[in-house]
Amino acid sequence: MNYNPVNALLIFFGLVLIGYLLFRPKSGWFWIIKNNLKSNEKIIIEDVLKQLYHNENSGKEMNLHDLSNSLKFSDGTIVDVVKKMAIIDLITFNGDIIQLTSSGRDYALRIVRVHRLWEKYLAEKTGFDKTEWHDRAEKMEHKLSHEETDRLASHLGNPKYDPHGDPIPTKLGKVASLEGEFLSSLKVGTIGRIIHIEDEPDVIYKQILAEKIHIGSQIRVIENNKERVVFYAEGQEFILAPIVAANITIALLEKEESLEENMARLSSLKDNEEAEIIGISKESRGDGRRRLLDLGFVKGAKISIDLKSPLGNPIAYLIKGTSIALRKDQASKILIKKGVKHGK
Amino acid sequence: MKKDEIEKLITLSSDLRWKIGDEFHDSLAEGIYADASEISNASVSRANEKKKFRLDSKIDSIVTSKTWGFPIMFLILALILWITIVGANYPSAMLSNLLLDNVHPFLKEVAANIGMPWWLDGFLIDGVYLAVAWVVAVMLPPMAIFFPLFTLLEDFGYLPRVAFNMDYLFKKSGAHGKQALTMSMGFGCNAAGVVATRIIDSPRERLIAIITNNFSLCNGRWPTQILIATIFIGAVVPSSFSAVASMSAVIGIAILGIFFMFLTSWALTKTVLKGEVSTFNLELPPYRPPRVLKTIYTSLIDRTLIVLWRAIVFAAPAGAVIWLISNIYIGNESIAAWTINFLDGFGFLLGLNGVILLAYIVAIPANEIVIPTILMLTVLVTGVTGGEGAGVMFELDSVNATGDLLRAGGWTLLTAVNLMLFSLLHNPCSTTIYTIYKETNSLKWTTVATILPIIMGFIVTFLVAQIWRLF
Amino acid sequence: MENKVNSACETCPQYNAKGLKKLGVHTGNFDYVVALAGNPNTGKSTVFNALTGLRQHTGNWPGKTVVRAEGAFEYDNSKFKLVDLPGTYSLLSTSQDEEVARDFILFGKPDVTIIVVDASRLERNLNLVLQILEITDKAVLCLNLMDEAKRNNVKIDERTLARDLGIPVVPTSARFNKGIPELIQTVNEVASGKIICKPHRIKNVPKKIEDAVAKLSAEIKKQFPTIPNSRWIAFRLLEGDARIIKALKTGEFV
Ligand SMILES: Nc1nc2c(ncn2[C@@H]2O[C@H](COP(=O)(O)OP(=O)(O)OP(=O)(O)O)[C@@H](O)[C@H]2O)c(=O)[nH]1
Ligand SMILES: [Mg+2]
Repeated sequence: MNYNPVNALLIFFGLVLIGYLLFRPKSGWFWIIKNNLKSNEKIIIEDVLKQLYHNENSGKEMNLHDLSNSLKFSDGTIVDVVKKMAIIDLITFNGDIIQLTSSGRDYALRIVRVHRLWEKYLAEKTGFDKTEWHDRAEKMEHKLSHEETDRLASHLGNPKYDPHGDPIPTKLGKVASLEGEFLSSLKVGTIGRIIHIEDEPDVIYKQILAEKIHIGSQIRVIENNKERVVFYAEGQEFILAPIVAANITIALLEKEESLEENMARLSSLKDNEEAEIIGISKESRGDGRRRLLDLGFVKGAKISIDLKSPLGNPIAYLIKGTSIALRKDQASKILIKKGVKHGK
Repeated sequence: MKKDEIEKLITLSSDLRWKIGDEFHDSLAEGIYADASEISNASVSRANEKKKFRLDSKIDSIVTSKTWGFPIMFLILALILWITIVGANYPSAMLSNLLLDNVHPFLKEVAANIGMPWWLDGFLIDGVYLAVAWVVAVMLPPMAIFFPLFTLLEDFGYLPRVAFNMDYLFKKSGAHGKQALTMSMGFGCNAAGVVATRIIDSPRERLIAIITNNFSLCNGRWPTQILIATIFIGAVVPSSFSAVASMSAVIGIAILGIFFMFLTSWALTKTVLKGEVSTFNLELPPYRPPRVLKTIYTSLIDRTLIVLWRAIVFAAPAGAVIWLISNIYIGNESIAAWTINFLDGFGFLLGLNGVILLAYIVAIPANEIVIPTILMLTVLVTGVTGGEGAGVMFELDSVNATGDLLRAGGWTLLTAVNLMLFSLLHNPCSTTIYTIYKETNSLKWTTVATILPIIMGFIVTFLVAQIWRLF
Repeated sequence: MENKVNSACETCPQYNAKGLKKLGVHTGNFDYVVALAGNPNTGKSTVFNALTGLRQHTGNWPGKTVVRAEGAFEYDNSKFKLVDLPGTYSLLSTSQDEEVARDFILFGKPDVTIIVVDASRLERNLNLVLQILEITDKAVLCLNLMDEAKRNNVKIDERTLARDLGIPVVPTSARFNKGIPELIQTVNEVASGKIICKPHRIKNVPKKIEDAVAKLSAEIKKQFPTIPNSRWIAFRLLEGDARIIKALKTGEFV
């Protein structure tokens, strides 16, 4: 074939297209083949156990049909695996209903433990986006051995809760229970603290994240009806659809320890306003949180805006005599009390 | 051994830690700051309550303003480059006159007089000496101007403002704002830029900064850009504009580099280095008047020594290799000629030629010697006279003569443009590669950082060449 | 020891810097190791250069120094090895960018630590100072950037500060070589034991934590009777610092 720039370009774009089809994130053919080769029996068993465990917790019963509907594997594989699981005494049949045996439950708890620990690890020690935690933990839960899990746990300081607020089962399989009520069920005027944000289904979780609702925030319910749930937190009003609100769990607070009404997020501070720091939201974690504390963003410190960058983010704040620039999402995790005069 | 006892200690600490709960760190940090306040309140007194020096906030409000923030950054970059380019001309000419036109013939004469065998003479004086001399003549002057200027800016306190202004763009591409600082260091030397990435506290963003540092045009590549732009780009416009045109072309390439840096950071974030920046914090120090004379003196002395050392360590063996491959024959073709013929086809696809590709292979140790290698190889294959014997690196006395030679070697405007692009987008020099390895401690990431830019270089020059030929 | 150049006036302490001999990079055969610690951009490298005659790069932005540098000087017949460290905001984190400095302060066993602080921003700098004082008994506070403090109308009562911190305080303007002779002399006196420090210990710790720390610290002392900073190690163990746990196991502290 003779050289001609058009041919050269066509061949090039052809190659690019093939490369794209093979390697595009998630649905590239290469990845699909790779994943299919990897999903072996162990993974399916563990996914079945987990599914049963979660349903048991929410009081739902499952038969074989429900199970294969809720998992992504082919029906034939599931039937095979379930048979095998019954033989090795992980599950029993109660008529149609599949139930966990106690050793099955232990196994399931171990998987849940790895999953939540890994989410905690991702939250504390890495910069992965929240929306990625779940998928990554989903992979990791099949990989870590007992020893590795325990080492991970002690590395993280044997945490009690994962970053969504779910309790992490202990080494011995004990799980703390979540004492709280769904936001959607609360009466107007209720005061509480967000203790859990459910990360499934993905669509709803992303909505909650987009609203920038933070775990640990104190809230007061302003409105609750069929159309919407409105609540006040950290100087802002949040409006949610009831099904979204149902994925947020609130621990009720006594009126006495009620919230600071003029609490706000640092990101809402305006030029020429002065404020005092109340604390850092639980949403800020790990090294990032530590660094903020080291930089002097501690309770009681006076703060004001020093400079705004040309694109409006980051903003430099004047704190303890120095100008420190922070991005907006970090600033939104620092809680302040506005309207304090500076100077001793 | 006390091993058990220590295990007990650690278990005890875990228990206590569990009891205290997760507010330990917060309480401790707050406690320390409370002590700090008490102590400083007791001994510090402030005469008036002015929070910030008036002049400082004035400057800040201009250099970070919506209207002026970015133009000022651009102007400062242009100004520094302008001074470097214009100012380097004269000392460069002087040095090359001295080292290449006077000392070199003198050494040849001495060698002839003491009866040195032709191969040793060629190897040492035409290979090693010329390589070192060329690096000194072409590299030293721009460095000696660029670094002090840059250091003055650094001492003044402008760099953190650059990072502050640009952070949003870095955030958008999934990188850390402090990458602006390491990128700036990279304009001097990529290896230095790679070491500077240590200020980035999260590993993912640091890796991105390391991999993309090569897109900052380093000092070894400025002279190539300037020379080619002067010969080819300057020639397409009326002569009164030629300085401005070639200048803009060089700045354009530098800015294109910044663009590729963002693009690559973004692509890495979306694929192999997924994630989001968890933290960014940057202290903006007060402005401080730089100490001009001292800065000029120290950066001159320090950089000079470093450049000389590097020239000897890297350029000398490269010079020797050039001499060898053009003087060892297989059949009746030298290795160099054979390789050039071999690479020519691929080079054509990229709008370059075999000579340029071979020159880049030879010049992996030091980008500085790309141009003289190209010239020498061009003489070798075209048979155009004007150079010296086979394997002699040289720079022709005038820019015009260089241009004539290159055109005789089949160069067009396309070759020039693509050479400029390829000089921006190709593998880092060996020092940088080694530094990347030391900093990442990973063969995998070193390979990625090495291969990625050269693939991008191939793609970009290929596309430019095809589209150019379409019209 | 080999040839030492005698100072012009060895006996009178007032006649200080005359006894200084900058030794550049020749760090062999030293008597004392001195570390330069402090927040970023407070002038550590500038102090380092003033003392050793070297040209460590300095720059007006936090994070200029990222690898540690060594140099030496001789004063009053003693040789000092000086180590310039990257700046740190704190020793409480485990972040990578602060690792070099953290490791040296903790495990490098410097004889004296010079803590360089920005006089205009004393409060925020004290955060690190107080942490270092938990770790070492021998420290000197170098109150740098005094010229700027004066321009900003900040006045510091050095005596009160020295009393509260329990270590000597030396005001300097390193860039203009002011206060450097006094600094050297003070470092020498601390190194040779002429000045004994009684460093401040962190007080405002909540009772719950203080109790845990006391308990743990007592256990640590039982295991390592000679350890000077058991309280700090207790703090770090409660934080679960893997590096410290490793150090305990390998016995790096003793
Ligand atoms: N006005 C004034 N400037 C000083 C003084 N000491 C240092 N500087 C300047 O402060 C800036 C920071 O100095 P460095 O010595 O680089 O600071 P450092 O503590 O080593 O900083 P890192 O290496 O980033 O931790 C430089 O621009 C110095 O010139 C001083 O006493 N007075
Ligand atoms: Mg320094």
